[in-house]
Amino acid sequence: MDRSGAFNKPASATGNGHPRKPHRRMFLTMTGGTFIAALLPGRSAQATGYATSAITFSGQTVIVAGDSVRSVDVSTGTTVDLTTPERPVHALAIHPDRPDRLFAAPEDGGIAQSNDGGRLWHSAGNGLPDAQVTALAVAAAAPDTVYATVSGDGLWRSEDAGGTWSFVMDRPWIEEAERDVLALASVNLASGMGGIWLYAGTETGLTRVPDCFCRWQDVVAGDAMDALVAGAAPPPEAPLPEDEPVLALVSAHAAPERLFAALPSGLWASADGGVMWERKSSVQVRALAVDPMDPGHIAAATDTELKLSRDGGANWATLAAL
Amino acid sequence: MRMRLLTIAGLAMSGLAVAVGAETQQAEPEPVTFLGQIIAPEQITRGEVLYAESCASCHGADLEGAPDWRRRNANGRMPAPPHDKTGHTWHHSDRQLFTITKLGVGSVVPGYESDMPAYQNILSDAEIIAVLAFIKSTWPERQRAAQAGINESEGEGS
Repeated sequence: MDRSGAFNKPASATGNGHPRKPHRRMFLTMTGGTFIAALLPGRSAQATGYATSAITFSGQTVIVAGDSVRSVDVSTGTTVDLTTPERPVHALAIHPDRPDRLFAAPEDGGIAQSNDGGRLWHSAGNGLPDAQVTALAVAAAAPDTVYATVSGDGLWRSEDAGGTWSFVMDRPWIEEAERDVLALASVNLASGMGGIWLYAGTETGLTRVPDCFCRWQDVVAGDAMDALVAGAAPPPEAPLPEDEPVLALVSAHAAPERLFAALPSGLWASADGGVMWERKSSVQVRALAVDPMDPGHIAAATDTELKLSRDGGANWATLAAL
Repeated sequence: MRMRLLTIAGLAMSGLAVAVGAETQQAEPEPVTFLGQIIAPEQITRGEVLYAESCASCHGADLEGAPDWRRRNANGRMPAPPHDKTGHTWHHSDRQLFTITKLGVGSVVPGYESDMPAYQNILSDAEIIAVLAFIKSTWPERQRAAQAGINESEGEGS
């Protein structure tokens, strides 16, 4: 089925609809925009050996991306292959107001955009440096504003849904060095500076910056200015474990103070915007997503399974094999 | 009937006069306020002089900031940002701006290291306010309105 008119991968190239190895031609780097059209028939979930790097809720499905891009129905577990990317997908971002519009960061750089839920893709990284995009996020309060962090470079922003990009901030400075961002989440909590926060997970922990981009700073309780003026002791904090990378980070759209983070030590949750954290599970998670309609409904990708929790991460059930 | 027409004409003229008056009033620049107080023009002029003496060497004579100010220096510190509409100064409330200037950035963001000194032993409170009022006076209406909204959210007026 040629949906793009520009690039169509024959069904035989996908190994009978179950590609186990990524096609080594380039994903989204051809001049003039590259398009992928590999709509495959629906099938039941089964072990296929895909590597998963990113997941996100899209309506009643979870989009799973890595060596392939697929949708998994959250009720039935039915999996539909959407595309077979030429380069594995490293990160995904979506806004619940635009559930069919996906942004993806392919391996080795650039950004791809799909406006049809992940079937057809085109390049959307105009102006970005030629380096790996390590994390993506769509602004919680502005669906056309997209953030991308670039390895060895910094934070970039597009205010026209990926049309153009501009540099807005250097990488976080933690423990005397700049750190690449591994996970990014737009958190719709007031920064006190007329906007909201952008949280970042790094190899050395969590940090955040107001979306006016004045400075990366630690996550603290309340307003630092209020504490200064009032002379009040800051409330107690229970931060994430030190010296562990934050591999995935999400904020619940319906309750932005609820954050979930995937660390090597397991899945952690915060109910106060990232000041107090509690380990909810020892599950080893590669990618994480939270249902925009239900902050207790979480999807997590492990090495072998797509799991769902309906109670904020305490209990998990397998939805599909990966 | 003649009296009625005159009355209508009179009302129309007075309405026009009110409209013209309103238009003239709108054309007047809004006074600059700081922490809810109107800042006199001479204070703003004083602030401009103080800015040139104490701030411009880092933040730029035209408030344009250091070159490539979004990129970190080799020592890990951020260059001086602009104070014009291209920067983020107008994203901060009057109270934040005053505190940052007087006590340093670290007073607001604990542990944050900055090349900018605390000015509490360099400028008086009135002089700091004059400098900040001068900076505010240069902002276009959009930035002034946005910053006024941030002040209002803190409950201190604009």
